Formats: sequence, structure tokens, C-alpha cells
Amino acid sequence: MKKKLLSLLLALSLVVSLAACGSSDSTSGSSESESSDAASDTSEAASSAETEAEAEASTVEESSDSVEFAGTITLGMIGPMTGSLAVYGTHVANGVNLAIEQINAAGGVTVGGESYELAVESKDDQGDSTECLNAMNALISDGIELVIGSATSGCTSSITSVANSEGVVLITPSGTADALTTEMDYVFRTCFKDSFQGELAAQYAADEGYTKVGIVYCSADTYSAGLRDAFTAAAEELGLEIVAEESVATMTEVDYTNQFTKMVEAGAELVFVPFYYDVTGPYLVPQARSVGFDGILLGADGVDNTETTIPDGADLSVYNDFLFVNHYSTELATSDISVSFVESYEEAYGETPNNFDALGYDAVLVLTQAIESCGAFDADSVQAALADTSVVYEVSTGTFSFDDTGTPIKTGVLMGYSYTEGDDSVTKIAITTLSLD
Amino acid sequence: MKKSETRTRYLVNFLAVVLLFVISLVMSAAGGDTLKLKVVPSIWQCCYLIIMAASLNLVLGFLGQLSLGHCGFMAVGAYTAALISLAFQRAGFYEEKSGPAFLLVLLLSTLAAGVLAAVMGLLVGIPALRLKGDYLAIITLGFGMIIVNVINNLPFCGQQGLGQGSASSALYATGLGFSNDEKVQYLWVAVLMVILCMTAMLLFVRSKYGRAIRAIRDNEIAAATSGINVSYYKVLTFTISAFFAGVTGALYSCCNAALATTSFAFTNGSILNSVFIVVMVVVGGMGSMTGSVIAAVALFLLNYTIKNGAWVSALPAFLQNIFAYPMLVYSVALIVVILFRPRGIMGSREFALCDIPKWPGMIKAYFTSRFKGKEAIRHE
Repeated sequence: MKKKLLSLLLALSLVVSLAACGSSDSTSGSSESESSDAASDTSEAASSAETEAEAEASTVEESSDSVEFAGTITLGMIGPMTGSLAVYGTHVANGVNLAIEQINAAGGVTVGGESYELAVESKDDQGDSTECLNAMNALISDGIELVIGSATSGCTSSITSVANSEGVVLITPSGTADALTTEMDYVFRTCFKDSFQGELAAQYAADEGYTKVGIVYCSADTYSAGLRDAFTAAAEELGLEIVAEESVATMTEVDYTNQFTKMVEAGAELVFVPFYYDVTGPYLVPQARSVGFDGILLGADGVDNTETTIPDGADLSVYNDFLFVNHYSTELATSDISVSFVESYEEAYGETPNNFDALGYDAVLVLTQAIESCGAFDADSVQAALADTSVVYEVSTGTFSFDDTGTPIKTGVLMGYSYTEGDDSVTKIAITTLSLD
Repeated sequence: MKKSETRTRYLVNFLAVVLLFVISLVMSAAGGDTLKLKVVPSIWQCCYLIIMAASLNLVLGFLGQLSLGHCGFMAVGAYTAALISLAFQRAGFYEEKSGPAFLLVLLLSTLAAGVLAAVMGLLVGIPALRLKGDYLAIITLGFGMIIVNVINNLPFCGQQGLGQGSASSALYATGLGFSNDEKVQYLWVAVLMVILCMTAMLLFVRSKYGRAIRAIRDNEIAAATSGINVSYYKVLTFTISAFFAGVTGALYSCCNAALATTSFAFTNGSILNSVFIVVMVVVGGMGSMTGSVIAAVALFLLNYTIKNGAWVSALPAFLQNIFAYPMLVYSVALIVVILFRPRGIMGSREFALCDIPKWPGMIKAYFTSRFKGKEAIRHE
């Protein structure tokens, strides 16, 4: 019996110590911080900055006590806070929290001449659709009518139907699957959709004068296959020749050498690679170069953050000419609101914001603007306000208005990785703003 | 056991089951927000987890073969049921999700889901069950992964077809997928399904077939020498287990209204995956049907309340940090069970309502025997 209790105690202490380490590490996934020293350094820096930010936030709260709030508007938020996609959820949460802090510090949301305080109730869906549905139901039963979530298309698709049938406004910061938003209903988003990204990518290839393009994608994945369809359609329209097309079985495939050998044989000058950052860094790019492909590799928004998955000691020169279409770039964003967002984010979290931060931030701004314009914060009024396609939203990722399905009409940016021979380093650079003519 | 006692036992259990069913009907009629948003969806999820765990218990606990791809059969069932219901709807067989026509479609798609999963079980089982132990585990693991990839790549049902976006709303709007209100309305379907499946499985385990497969589990050579056709019984059990997993899949597609193959993977973030179903069976006790029920409900409640319950926020801050990582909590729960109940919560015993009056005596006997055991050791 003593032995049992002792071993139980050991297990518990292990768990507590793990949790203690993990809790301060909310800005970056634990797998990342283990994979490279550099990453763990930044996460430590981030966590220390975070505690400062918390301290600051508390002082802000104290100072804002002088403003009399008439009440609280609670937003719901669902995202993968733990699990393999935790980076997405935690970054969306960072953006949302920052926006809420700023709005409250500036006097809250004005509804009917009175100012209301914003608050957020956050739920973890672990990147699973059943958990996401449970979280959504729990939020609704807590009386929340405005929900931000979820970070991935898969999870979001499991709650769109509930949002519509229960009459709750759902605004997804980063669910890009085309079919998520349909004719004017309760579902909106702050990002562009997959088919638009594919078109932008094809347009870029045509503008740069490439004629022979190839595609390596995953037919089994919505994101990858959706982008491929859009890219193919746009490429045909623009007169690009698709010389080779290869598919892999899963999005977590680790071997791409056969596919790229075929690309080289077919003479592709540019290969479109709609994959996520977890495979592009360690596998896809180095393997493409190793079989002799030296053209442009063009990805989509999933490629962002590849710098975090480049293995230690890898040949960094292979990442040169690896470009991707993205929502937003801190360098190309020049509007006041973008600049102030980047500054305040860096101040609060000690790192440069990425897509998810910006899109989460924007989701709050869009909701706030809609609440203020309709003068109410129940789901039906806000839905009606958001459904007005003539309203222009000026947010950190650009200026846009919604189309009649609830997806923003906006521009994208082209970003890429550039290798510098002098100090043997890879940097992420913003190249240009993309829009469809 | 006397015949009259057996009869009372059956009677008591039958009454309890009827009571359960009536409660579900009353809940459907009562309505209300908490019920609709929290209680009823939880019951639906419990229902499919219970059948899932119990059906795996047939293979793992009673036949003694490790199967790591049980969710693969569930995926087959889920997609079959969803596609059949959509096909009927498009053919104009039913318009609204009510009335006898819809119930018939529900029944048909559930049965079809079970049958197709059983066929898959048969196809996998015939070659696989000639292998033993680790090799069987590897084959079933492979099956689980292959089926997910096959479904993903089928144009009419993969990620693009039924998985996400408008297609999932199609399943929701017109197919089997139930909204929260319909989940309340059709709660009796889920409860009835659990009652029927559990009864069928219990009867199977108690029958001559059940005795045969337990004999195979305990000693295959002895069983074969006694004239039991080992391969036949193995494949039979595997197929039956797959059938119930397929039925579970149909329930799942009713409950979730959005199908994505990640839900049926080997591991994923939630508690529905092949590994976690094995965990449920082991925690409940291999060879105890009621143990599987208890473990499925307990693990579901643990998972659900960690995320949505109020008691976590009542804990001190450093403990709350642990609950932010649910996987850590499951591991501790598993360690506790394995330390104190190495054979699972129920071992290989079954829970019976008629045994409850005997409990105080049993507990007393347990402690006195423990105490005496220690005394004896001390004297040595």
C-alpha cells in the first residue's frame, strides 16, 4: 500500500511540475520549444514579457475603474488551446485578449449612450469537432450570443449549423474553407477563403511570367485539395500550363522526393505546395531541393511559421525562393491601426504578431463596430449589422467589407523566405500586396 | 442459482431498463435550455461511447485479442449511415426529420451501417485472426489507418464530400444529423439503441458462443482440443464486434452532424479514438460489460466536466493549470485505476441490481480479509 501511494505521489508531482512549466508557456507550443534552443529562448522571453503585460493590464484595469461601465458584454471564444494545433488557438486568444484590453482601457463599447465592458469566456476544443460542439453548446447555455471561433475549418464546420439553428453569431478568425459561410446567416469570418488564396497564387505566377507550373498537394485534405482546385481553375484561365500534378496520402506525409522528381522531369518552374508549416520546414522544402528542384516553391497561409519547424543544423540555403500567400504582413501593413496593433502586440507579448493574432484581434474589432453601429448586443441585431455589405471595416489586416456570404473582400500579401549567405540565416520577408484585378 | 432467483433478477433488470427508457421519454418531453444544450448532447455522446467500449470488450475482454483499429469500423458505419440517409432524402423519400418515413430511413441506415462494418470486420478478421497477439494488433492498427485514408480519398464521402463546410450542413439540414432540438426529440432513439445493443451483447456473452470464446481466451489449445472451432469463433466475435461499432457510427453521425475522419483516428485530441476506447475497456475491466459502461460514462464525464464543469474553477490555481491539459488528467486517472484496481474497476465481474443489498457484507469481508492478511505477514 505504501509503495502504491508513493508511486501515485511521484506521478502526481510529475504532472504538477509539467503543468507548472506549461502554464507559463502559453505563447508557443511545447513541442516547438523543445525542438530548438532558439525557440525556447524566445518563448521564455515571451513568457516574461507576458507577466509584465499582465501586470500592466491590472494597472490598466485599476485606472479604468474610474469609467463607470453599465454592464459587461461577454464574448465566447473557442479554439485549440492544447493539442497539436495549440499554436493556432493560443495566438487567436492573444489577439482577442489584446483587443479586449485595449477597448476596455479606451472606455469600453458604447451601446445606447452607455459604455459596456468587454469580457471573454474561452473554451478549448483540442482541435476536435465533438469537443468543439460541446464547447459551443456550453457557451450558448451560459447565455453568450457572440462567439469567436474556431481556429480550424474542420472544427468550425461542426458548429456552424448550431450557430444558425440557435441564432448565435459565430465569427471565425481563421477558418478558410470555402463552404463555411453561406448565404446571409449567422456565420462570418475575418480571413479570406481558400479559393481566393488559390486564385491569388495563380495570379502571382502569371504576373511573374511563369508558364510551366506544377502542383504537389494532398487530395485527402479539404484545405489542400480546395486550394489546388482554385489554383488549377485560375491557372487555366490565365493560360498557365500545369505540367505535372502529384498527390500525397496525408497532410503529415514525410517523403516528397518522388513527387518532386516528377516535377523536375516535367520541367516545372514553379510548384504550388498547399501544406502546413509542420511538414514544409523539416521535409518538403529540403527534399524538393535535394532532388534538384531549384525553382519557386509557392505555398499558402498554412506555410506561415515554417521558420519554427526548420530542424537544427539544416542547410538553410534550401529555403530561399520559398514563397507563400498570406493574410497579412507586419511590414506591408501601413495603416494607423495596423501599426498600432503591431506596436502594442510587441509591447504586450514581446514578439511579432502572426496571422492568428491579427485575425483574432480583428474579429473583436469587427464585432465591436457592429455592436456600436446597431446599438445592441443581442445576436439578431449584431447579425443584421454584420450582414450589411456596405459597411467598411478598417482593421489591422486591411480595410474590407463582407460579401453576401459573410466572407471579407480583401487583399492578400506575398511573403517568402530569403537566405543570406553572409551570416548563413533565413529571414521571412514580405514581398508585395496581392489582389485580383 | 435457483430458477426463481434468476427470474427475479431478469424481472428487476427489465423494470430498471423500462424505467430508464421512460426517463428518457420524460426528458424529451420536458425540454428546457440546460437540458437541450448540456444534458442531452452529453447523453448522446455517452450512448455511443458505451456501445463502442462494450463492443470492443467482446474482442478484447472476452476473446482476448487486442484490436487497435476499432474506430475504423465506426468510421465505416458513420459514413455509410450518412450517405444512405442523404441518398434517401435526395430521392424525395422524406422531407422533414419526423414521421414514420424518417424513422424507417433511420432504422435502415443504422442497420446498413452495422452490416457494412460487419462485412469489413469479416474481411479483416479472416486473415488477421490467424495471427496472434502483437501481430493482430498491428493488422487492426493498419486497418484503422487505411480505412481513414480510403474514406478521405473517396470523392463522394471524403473531406470534400461530407466532412466539412456546406456538405456537413447538408448532412445537418437534410440527412441524419440532428440539431439540438432534434437530439432532445430523438433522445429515445439513442437510449433504445443502447438498450438493444447492450442486451444483444450480454446475451451473446452469456450464450454457448460466449462460453466458447471465453474458453478460447483462457486457453486456446485446450479449447481446440475440446472441439471448439477456434478460427470460426474468433472471426464470428470480431464480426459481431464490428457490427456494433458500425451501429455506433450511425449514432455518431446523428449526434455530430459533421463528419471528419480525424474523429476516427488512432489518436486525436478528444476521447473518441481507437486508443481511448481500449483505455475505456481496460479501466472498466476486461471481460465485464457493465464495467465498460461505467468506464465509458466515467471517462466521458471526466472529459466533459474538465472543460465545461464548474468544479475546476473552484480548485486552487496551481491545480487548475493541470486541468488546462486534459491529457495529463487522464493519465493520472489511469494510473490511479491501475494502481488500486489492476484488473479494472469491475474486474471480470458484472454489476447487478440484485447484488446491491449484498454489498455491505462484501465490503466488510474484503476489509477483514485484507486486515487478516497483514496480521499474518506481521507474525511471520
